[in-house]
Amino acid sequence: MTITLSGIAKTFGDFTAVHPLDLTVPEGSFFALLGASGCGKTTTLRMIAGLEEPTSGSILLGEDDITRLPPHKRPVNTVFQNYALFPHLDVTENIAFGLRRRGVKSVSKQVAEMLDLVQLGDMARRKPRQLSGGQQQRVALARALINRPQVLLLDEPLGALDLKLRRQMQLELKRIQTEVGITFVHVTHDQEEAMTMADSVAVMYGGRVEQLGPPAELYENPRSTFVANFLGTSNLIEAEVLSPGTAGPEQLRVQVVGADATLRLPAARCAVDGVGAGTKVLVGVRPEKISLAHTDDADSVPRGVPEDHNRLTGRITDASYLGVSWQYVVESPAGTQLTVYEQNVSRDSRLTPGAHVVLHWQPAHTFALDAAQDAAAGEEAV
Amino acid sequence: MTAVAPLSSSGPAPSGAAPGGEQDPDAAVTDSGGGRARRGLTPYWLLLPAGLWLAVFFVAPLFYQASTSVQSGSLEEGFRVTWQFSNYTDALGTYGTHFVRSFGYAAVATALCLLIGYPLAYMIAVRAGRWRNLLLVLVIAPFFTSFLIRTLAWKTILSDGGPVVSVLSSLHILDVTSWLGLTGGERVLATPLAVVCGLTYNFLPFMILPLYSSLERIDTSLLEAARDLYAKPATTFRKVTFPLSLPGVVAGTLLTFIPASGDYINAQLLGSPNEQMVGNAIQKQFLNVLDYPTAAAMSFILMALILIMVSVYMRKAGTEELV
Repeated sequence: MTITLSGIAKTFGDFTAVHPLDLTVPEGSFFALLGASGCGKTTTLRMIAGLEEPTSGSILLGEDDITRLPPHKRPVNTVFQNYALFPHLDVTENIAFGLRRRGVKSVSKQVAEMLDLVQLGDMARRKPRQLSGGQQQRVALARALINRPQVLLLDEPLGALDLKLRRQMQLELKRIQTEVGITFVHVTHDQEEAMTMADSVAVMYGGRVEQLGPPAELYENPRSTFVANFLGTSNLIEAEVLSPGTAGPEQLRVQVVGADATLRLPAARCAVDGVGAGTKVLVGVRPEKISLAHTDDADSVPRGVPEDHNRLTGRITDASYLGVSWQYVVESPAGTQLTVYEQNVSRDSRLTPGAHVVLHWQPAHTFALDAAQDAAAGEEAV
Repeated sequence: MTAVAPLSSSGPAPSGAAPGGEQDPDAAVTDSGGGRARRGLTPYWLLLPAGLWLAVFFVAPLFYQASTSVQSGSLEEGFRVTWQFSNYTDALGTYGTHFVRSFGYAAVATALCLLIGYPLAYMIAVRAGRWRNLLLVLVIAPFFTSFLIRTLAWKTILSDGGPVVSVLSSLHILDVTSWLGLTGGERVLATPLAVVCGLTYNFLPFMILPLYSSLERIDTSLLEAARDLYAKPATTFRKVTFPLSLPGVVAGTLLTFIPASGDYINAQLLGSPNEQMVGNAIQKQFLNVLDYPTAAAMSFILMALILIMVSVYMRKAGTEELV
């Protein structure tokens, strides 16, 4: 069932947890609300569950307005952050809780099916405290799913698990979602989790939705510095737009502030409205998109920089080996420390700290953001 | 043995010789260093003060009373142990009604404490917010006054023709209670109702505090989970809150019922001879009649009956799984 939030907001005293926000979660999708703690994502989820009453706005489930319905009347179930399993009931009774409350008499068949789905068949009579974290997580999931909710809400369901188990449960959640076809709304602060699982992601920051879209679009085409920094890493370079149109209608040319370099980028990837000559922007490029060439052979063939690439000069200050790649930090006259990931394939042995290099990348991999924002937003939050 | 070396090196120097000692085959495992041996004894040292106290003031008197309970004789001739178990059967025969009355009053008072205390404890634990600590202080505030004074105060409160009695009378509540056999005529004092009221009042904090602590510990996300899983507020209470507060209910009822069934002050001050509880009978045997064997036998019967009831109750409640 489609969920439509319109103008939904929540204030606690004089603190605004969620600014009026509009959001549509399409039926059958795996939707992630991503953000650092305190960004309002959990409050938004709790408003959908009915555990928090919105200060304003409305929530539609399909065509029905459920804004004022108490939680026990909503066809929505939640997997809580710490699972909230009933300690006095065994696994079977925990899972059957929702069915029993709705007056279903014979629950054993459905419970058995659910135990199969989450692969806990032999744990049916255990008490929650006799289960491991991962098993408790599955019980919490089964307890919610057995009710065949229109929407399943997941509040950081994997947050308490260790890394390896988390990866495993991510795949499992995705499998179960595909299997049951229910709309999942998943709250997480882990950008990797959101990217691997969700069909679409809403990045929240300070009680607002910063950007909404499929993971690839958010990553490739961030519209704000927060999104650029929170999802992966971005290099943001201050620049000024040169008169538009000089590089063709589809391209923008910008002058890097503090360095003698011009860069080009697709006009469509500029997130600033109404750019003209002199508009200040932050030019962004992802570290893995950048290639490094030693200054000595920047203009030689075949190692040199391709003619149509954006280029910046700099000096390596740090090189660290990450296994699959090398991570370089390059100091450039553009005033920023630029991060570069180079695939660990054929490394130029001269690329050591102190070496002078040319950084280059395709203009198509370049994006531009409004320079009025904090260039470091979202960096420390990860 | 390999583990011994690093351990003994961290201990005091002389202990290095200990593992080599031939006295004890287990020495290498249990006593690889002086530090560990001392740590092993620490719990016993901590138990010592309480253990001594209990030995002198509880275990010894208990044995003394046990021997008294099977003595015969009189104050003039002296008592001597004759294994006279008829003290027990005689006491039960003579004071059977006192036992029944004691447990009856204690049970009613415990039930009333639970009915009054549960909503209050729930309110303090769940809804009181910043008033919580103040309310808790108010719950234990009566302890700042002596038990005796508080019970005497009830004498005034329930006095004949006093405001409480006249209100109850004009509302015809006294008609109902006297029909139930709890009061007689137009008075409350010197009736079962007065004794039960006194017991309830005096033991209420012992019910509220354990209830509060178990209610306060309930994770609110469990209540949210119940509501999320289609439980109406009343069902949430019945299926989640109450079962999870059972440890508090059990602790509270025990802390109320046990002392209440042995109490004699309330019956003494607020009741008439018809409301005498077993505590009054024991007190009278000890201090007025000076029939020590019977008094001791009654004390043991009371203790045994309470132990039996408590163990049956604990088994029924089955709360050990909850904690």
